[in-house]
Amino acid sequence: MKERRGHWYLLTGFIIGVTLGIVYAWKINPVKYENTLPASLRADFKDQYRELIAVAYTANKSLERAKVRLAQLGDPDPKQTLAIQAQHSLAAKNPRPEAYALGQLAIALSQAESGGSPPSQGGSPVPKHTSLPASTLANPTLTVLPLRSTETLSPAVTLTQGIKPTASAPILSVTLFPTQTYTPTPGSPFSLENIQLVCEQIRAQPLIMIQTLDAADQPVPGVEIIVTWENGEDRFYTGLKPELGLGYADFAMTPSVVYTVRLGDEGIPESGITPKECDSPSGTRYWGSWRLVFIQK
Amino acid sequence: MYCGTITYMRWILFFISIALGIAAGLYFGWVVSPVEYVDTTPDSLRVDYKADFVLMVAETYQAEKDLAQAARRLALLGGNTPDTPVSEAIQFATTSRLPYSEVDLALMRTLAQDLQSWEPSPEVPQP
Repeated sequence: MKERRGHWYLLTGFIIGVTLGIVYAWKINPVKYENTLPASLRADFKDQYRELIAVAYTANKSLERAKVRLAQLGDPDPKQTLAIQAQHSLAAKNPRPEAYALGQLAIALSQAESGGSPPSQGGSPVPKHTSLPASTLANPTLTVLPLRSTETLSPAVTLTQGIKPTASAPILSVTLFPTQTYTPTPGSPFSLENIQLVCEQIRAQPLIMIQTLDAADQPVPGVEIIVTWENGEDRFYTGLKPELGLGYADFAMTPSVVYTVRLGDEGIPESGITPKECDSPSGTRYWGSWRLVFIQK
Repeated sequence: MYCGTITYMRWILFFISIALGIAAGLYFGWVVSPVEYVDTTPDSLRVDYKADFVLMVAETYQAEKDLAQAARRLALLGGNTPDTPVSEAIQFATTSRLPYSEVDLALMRTLAQDLQSWEPSPEVPQP
């Protein structure tokens, strides 16, 4: 009697092989994360990394070094990401010093981009750069790359799929100077100088537009604005939209809600601010915005 | 004799199919759906990035003079003690061909020295 056996044993062998492969990959020799790049960090670690970049910037005042370090995080728009994190950190009930550092770096980056010079703190001298900082990131690819050719970093070169580092440049060399900790707008309190209804049809939403000026009519960044309404409160800072002025901040209002604005916890509240309608020449009506100018006495 | 050859061939094919299965698994794992580094932790950073991280902490320590804060930041890099990543960074900075300035090296050495003599208070989390 002849036994008839099919080719199922081949499928059996294949399944056994796949199983062995997975057991090897997941249990015996699982992936170890080594030699990773800052761009692959978990979001909360990226936030901490960004904070560290900011506090290091307040210490060394090297904007170039900060920019290169921020680029290593691989954010699509580092300046915007930094500004958002700064806003969130500064809006916390008891912002940590890192929050002010984030805000300061965000303002400095914006100023540098718009051609201005970053704000100086305590008259610290500008650091002397002698070379450009560490490696930057290129566009992510799925290429497996060796580490840089000139450096022997580690014998265990691990997988680097997904992120492609470029050849690294030398790390920055700077001369450091001690600086004072950044604190927003020390000095005299602000008082409301002017409140004005602004009728501009281009705005989709009515705004509270705040401008802070010092006694010499110069814009003051980093001033905390507190807007409260029934069952709500928002805190934000001037200077994080530097394209509109270093002393500028705004808040989008909801029609028929009444708001109170004050500068910092000790500021005098300006209440009764609510969206008001404007008339266009064609007779249509639209929401106007309020512009509040505060001056430091 | 003929029957034995068939059995032998079946075993050969069986092991070939296992090998093909392993190859298919590796192809899937390495090419079709390769490892992507996401959500990693700072202790897995490449050595030059770790060194730059330590340098940032050293720069900040220079201004803040807060060893506990520096230790908290360094704890992200792992190591048995806070000065471990600093020592590794100094070793990298002095042995690599990257031109670390003397100022940067001095900052890291100062931090390492201060950490060695530092006794943490109980509320400071240790790595």
